[in-house]
Amino acid sequence: METLIEVQNFTFYYGESPVPALADLNLTVRRGEFVGITGPTGAGKTTLALALNGVIPHFQGGRWSGRVVVAGMDTAETPCSRLARIIGSVFQDPEAQLVATDVEEEVAFGLENQALPREEMLPRIEEALTMVGIRDLRHRSLKELSGGQKQRVAIAAALAMRPAVLVLDEPTSELDPQGTQDVMEVLRLLNREHHLTIVLLEQKLAAMAPYISRLVCLHEGRVVADAPPREILRREKLLRELGLEDPPVAAFFRQLQRAGLYSRDLPLTVEEGREELGRLFAKEGIL
Amino acid sequence: MIRAENLSFTYPNGLQALKDISFHIKKGEFAAIIGRNGSGKTTLLKHFNGLLKPTSGRLLIAGLDTARARTAELARKVGFLFQNPDHQIFLPTVAQEIAFGPRNLGLKGREIERRVAEAAAQVGLTEYLDASPWKLGKGLRQRVALASVLAMGPDILVLDEPTTGQDYRQAREIMAITKALHRKGHTIILVTHDMELVARYAEKALVLGGGRLLLQGPLTEVFSRDDVLAEAGLLPPAVLRLTAPYRKAGLIPGVLTPEDLFREVCTILRGEDHAARILPA
Repeated sequence: METLIEVQNFTFYYGESPVPALADLNLTVRRGEFVGITGPTGAGKTTLALALNGVIPHFQGGRWSGRVVVAGMDTAETPCSRLARIIGSVFQDPEAQLVATDVEEEVAFGLENQALPREEMLPRIEEALTMVGIRDLRHRSLKELSGGQKQRVAIAAALAMRPAVLVLDEPTSELDPQGTQDVMEVLRLLNREHHLTIVLLEQKLAAMAPYISRLVCLHEGRVVADAPPREILRREKLLRELGLEDPPVAAFFRQLQRAGLYSRDLPLTVEEGREELGRLFAKEGIL
Repeated sequence: MIRAENLSFTYPNGLQALKDISFHIKKGEFAAIIGRNGSGKTTLLKHFNGLLKPTSGRLLIAGLDTARARTAELARKVGFLFQNPDHQIFLPTVAQEIAFGPRNLGLKGREIERRVAEAAAQVGLTEYLDASPWKLGKGLRQRVALASVLAMGPDILVLDEPTTGQDYRQAREIMAITKALHRKGHTIILVTHDMELVARYAEKALVLGGGRLLLQGPLTEVFSRDDVLAEAGLLPPAVLRLTAPYRKAGLIPGVLTPEDLFREVCTILRGEDHAARILPA
């Protein structure tokens, strides 16, 4: 698959800080991937999101070296408005990024900034709202929406720009479990049905692991692991050292593995776990 | 310790946020109040410090009727830790911040010092007493807020979504501190929508949905009522969902955490003796 994002030896220091937020970071994302990026607070997740959409180095002051290339364009040499057509960004707090009063206006905002004619705008709004499953909310006031719905509006607003990749920085941190799962399902659909490349920066490993094809772990601004989530979740020591969530289903099967009672791949979801437990019991003639 | 008797509350705009709620939380219990956003959790919490008074029914805290008690009186009984510690922090050093409450209680010199030192030690902040709270990371700032609450000497601690916005390590740290406070005899009320947290730390749960108390009881009981939880928009913790089919067959009952489940499954697969050899003491 074609490379869409290439981060090459990228280092970034905020202001005069002696400690780099990103340190000689390398990362490649290919078109069509759904990549999860995790790490504790301060590992560099948000900084990386800002480096991908060009806010770093265009608007955020600091010292940097290395290169970030998105769809063949060097972000340092490309205006943010141009990058915004390639990279759609969604942030943590839906309240902080929504600017309009109703849903349609919100989704139209970016398009208006691109001076798109109205007859082109309307179908794009329709399309974006349909993609995230909130077409019926089109004329609702943002104030009436739940957190999960607001976050879907933010995703629709990013999609209306028809980006090639969606970068989401902890989009579910303010949401309850149902809202979190709703957002994950929308992302899965966008990735599978609409072939959108997705980079999800997220701490909730249990919620994210079943959806992503690859998990990148950041620590002190560096990539310390990059593998399918099942492989990362086998590495208890890594999870502990980075202070990452240890999803309960995987944790249980890993304990069985260590005790020599289980040898297959770690299940990531409750459904997979039930199947594996059933298989295990059946093998031993229980139930 | 805390008793709600047919508590109802209607906002001035006519929205009935709490409907006929009755429960009893005993001294030294660790209770979780769970429910989705908008279920009435926050409205109920605002009754605990007297910010809201029941429209009908009553709420008794350590014998005080919250409708009549003075706020200062309640503040000595119930300490609050809110989701965003920054709303609770406003002084230049950690020590001053922690001393603020006791000073307001009218305490003097030595006693204030004693309380500050003790509260700081309980949350592991002793080495940061002279630091500015604003120079500390969010996890530590939350501990400053908790120490400030502890310095007031409340028996009851209410933690409102204490782990939201914290990373996993910070969440574990604040919960370890909470657990230690519970062991020392504090009554703990944890408000959260994180069921894994509830499974690991709480003893009983109260489920709110649409302003009603839908369910209350020990965790294994509450978490086996999938129907009511679904109505409340909640999912049981992963381990309980994993074992649900077996629970119905009478196998693996009462298991809440991955460690407990491992113990049970080892015993089932290998027998009591073998399991004891595999399992850490």
